[in-house]
Amino acid sequence: MTFILESGYAFWNPLIWIIVFIVVMVVVYFFRRRGQKKYKKDTAQARIFLCGEEVPEAEQRHIRVGNIYWGFFETLKEYYNQVLRPHTGIINDYVLWFVAATAISAIVLLIAGL
Amino acid sequence: MSLKAFKRALWVYHLNTGSCNGCDIEILAVLTPRYDVERFGIKLVGSPRHADVLLVTGPVVKQMVPRVKRIYEQTPDPKLVMVVGNCGTEGGVFYESYNLAGPVDQIIPVDVYVPGCPPRPEAIIHGVVTAWVKLEKLVKQEVA
Repeated sequence: MTFILESGYAFWNPLIWIIVFIVVMVVVYFFRRRGQKKYKKDTAQARIFLCGEEVPEAEQRHIRVGNIYWGFFETLKEYYNQVLRPHTGIINDYVLWFVAATAISAIVLLIAGL
Repeated sequence: MSLKAFKRALWVYHLNTGSCNGCDIEILAVLTPRYDVERFGIKLVGSPRHADVLLVTGPVVKQMVPRVKRIYEQTPDPKLVMVVGNCGTEGGVFYESYNLAGPVDQIIPVDVYVPGCPPRPEAIIHGVVTAWVKLEKLVKQEVA
């Protein structure tokens, strides 16, 4: 069993990838072992260096996912304002919307059937 | 002057605490091909967490005090602090100015002083070698 997958242009063999992975891990382990072990782990020596500034909490120093879509939300602001208004978060409102939509659909189907 | 215990290269972190950049330019001159201290393994690094020596220029303005302390704490032991220039040594032309908290030894312990306005590259190299020898003694004490 050779595990070789040939596409016609190239081949892919998981064994080669495993061997490469093991070699890389050995190299990484070799360099990591040579690292400085004497640093004090529970002090500022192990904290993030930010040009001497105080490092804020993780939640504050990361860009929130909403920022990525800022342009998207800004462009479609009017649409979202309209769509978000019916979303009250109250189950009764959603059931009311469901009943109303079902009734309108039933009326449309009834008229179309006639 | 022999270096035996400290066998690896000496990595230096340069911290400007309000310098006019005169000393900083001379520090860069030390790295140019004319002096080229990197051939001896002395190099500037981008983080104090990688450094053996903290090289400080400037008289330490008030806004820099927490930063200087934080960077000193982030430098791993054994470490040395080297001050380059008159400002960091004793205030220089900013002596007793209203916006100074320094000189440097008022904020963090200093091991080597290189006075001058700015000091010549040869003087800075001599200071680094002096720091290196002192660091070697520290390492020997730790081993013992």
